[in-house]
Amino acid sequence: MHDQRRTRPVLIALLIVAIALITIDFRDGGNSSARSLGGRIFGPFEHLGGDVTGWFGGGGSAEITALQRQNDELRAELASSQTAGQDAAQLAGLFHLSINHGYRVVAATVIAAGGDYSDTVTIGAGSSDGIAANETVLNGDGLVGAVISVTRSTATVQLATDAGATVGIAAAGSGQIGALTGTADSMTGTAPLKLTMFSATATLKPGEQLVTFGSVGGRPYVPGVPVGRVTAVTTKPGSLTPTALVKPFADFTGLGVVGVVVSK
Amino acid sequence: MSRSGRGGGRGRSWGRGRPPGERSAARKAVIVAALPLALFAAVIAQLTVVNRLSLPGGDAPDLVLLLVTAVAVLASPLTGALAGFAGGLALDVAPPQAHYAGEYALVFCLAGYAAARASAAAREASADRSPHIFQVPRTELTVMAAAAAAGEAGKAAIGLLLSDPNVTGPAIRHALPGAVLYDLLLTPVTLWLVSLLAGRPAPDVAQAPAFAPAVRLGAVFRLASAGAVPVLFAPRKRLAGSGPDHQGPSWARREPKLRLSDARSRSVGGTNRTVSGIAQPLLAGGRASKLNFASHGRAQSLRGGTASRPSMARLAKSPSKGWLRRDRATWSAPARRKTPSRGWLRSSRRSVARPNRYASAPTGKWLRRSRHPWRRRGKRFLALVGGRR
Repeated sequence: MHDQRRTRPVLIALLIVAIALITIDFRDGGNSSARSLGGRIFGPFEHLGGDVTGWFGGGGSAEITALQRQNDELRAELASSQTAGQDAAQLAGLFHLSINHGYRVVAATVIAAGGDYSDTVTIGAGSSDGIAANETVLNGDGLVGAVISVTRSTATVQLATDAGATVGIAAAGSGQIGALTGTADSMTGTAPLKLTMFSATATLKPGEQLVTFGSVGGRPYVPGVPVGRVTAVTTKPGSLTPTALVKPFADFTGLGVVGVVVSK
Repeated sequence: MSRSGRGGGRGRSWGRGRPPGERSAARKAVIVAALPLALFAAVIAQLTVVNRLSLPGGDAPDLVLLLVTAVAVLASPLTGALAGFAGGLALDVAPPQAHYAGEYALVFCLAGYAAARASAAAREASADRSPHIFQVPRTELTVMAAAAAAGEAGKAAIGLLLSDPNVTGPAIRHALPGAVLYDLLLTPVTLWLVSLLAGRPAPDVAQAPAFAPAVRLGAVFRLASAGAVPVLFAPRKRLAGSGPDHQGPSWARREPKLRLSDARSRSVGGTNRTVSGIAQPLLAGGRASKLNFASHGRAQSLRGGTASRPSMARLAKSPSKGWLRRDRATWSAPARRKTPSRGWLRSSRRSVARPNRYASAPTGKWLRRSRHPWRRRGKRFLALVGGRR
């Protein structure tokens, strides 16, 4: 068994390499070159796998895709026109936003999903379709998430339910603003999002609808995209600001066709 | 990426302990090429199919972890560690994953190595007599299930260590039990499939090659020097068994036959003693296991006890001369009770048992290796349970 003597050094070397990789990725904030290399290697095959499963699932029929795409485009248009009509000037004045009123929506299908501990999906469109990192992803129901990394033919989307995602929102009625974070349980279905309002005097009612407030330059979130509905107010006595649980409009377990809002 | 480096270790390790060149080069090449492909396919299938299924409970099995542990329990620790590292790293850097690259590589590498070590230790300790489930040994199934569960726990643990915002207490409580359950459900199927594709290491194949030629000869001489009756007979059988038809029943399998015949002859002596005094010389004759091997008919008549006693003339015509001579010597011994029958019995019993013990010590290094705490504990445990003679 001369293998035995050789095994231990190899094992130690592998462990050191793994720890070095973790360290490098940690330093680069999760965007090390190993990851982009992995995207380049696995991207095309995932594309293939996604096509095959879509074909088998029957959900990828051309007509449905076209209708979904149209729906997404209308939704984005509506969102931008709402913003433009109501308070675009006000917002621009406040934050020196240069809101680009022309949005283009690139439709793509979800081809892969992350594991138990990450709320991320891969979509079958990438930089060759004009998609870049930090762009809003939505579907017919509402906000889905934001693009976090792109390869040539695929893009990785961080869902709004990921614990690392924070979305600035505004209550549709009162215009009060707050931040929405995920609770890392989304792929399982009905996990709510956590809402924290910014103002201590803000009032929240169950049933209130929330839309995205918009980020600077529309990245990663364009303003006016519906996000969800307040289901329960959970403000604790003594806390500074009101908190609530929000049920998202989009169904994160059954994501099919999504649209990426690409600035023209 | 260790993908290129893995090939060499794998090819050698599948034929672990085997004389080189036993497995054909073509088969080796197929196996070397199959593992990276299988890992790649598992990663793609995991991300594009399994993770998107909405299974009850919202969890999903981890195909890559299952494949790694299945390969590990059937292969060497080196192969287990390399396969785990490669599979984990692929799962780390494939697009939708958002955790730090290297996390799963670390966990799967350790899981693969530990599974292979535990499986090898269990296999050697139990001499592979454990019953088979789904045509694979139960020890390997148990080790693989434990490794898969530990791998799932390790995935959660390393996320906690690196304070991944997604790996929180509630998330683990929700995801871990379901994932472990699905993994356990798929464990037998995966192990069966992998052993089918990789040419399954049947217990005989795994055990038999572990004999170095020196040990083989050593056991023969030891047997001879112990003064056991089957000196002429058994070694010939052994050498035949250790020839080119190596995969046949291993020694450990063959040994009980000798012992059985021995035990039978002893019982023959017992019954004869109670029946008549004349029977005692025949006890000595019955001592020779050769008697039973040579002709079953005679053994039958001996067991009959009161049946017609075979005449000395008939015995003289028995095919093996050595037996006859030995028999006559004991026959002419004047004091029946003082024949060295008892001590002789005991020593012959030991002489049968001893090669058995050596037979399960794989190589010339068995002394050093037997000092390993895992193995010793395994042996003691098995002795307690009674799984080992």
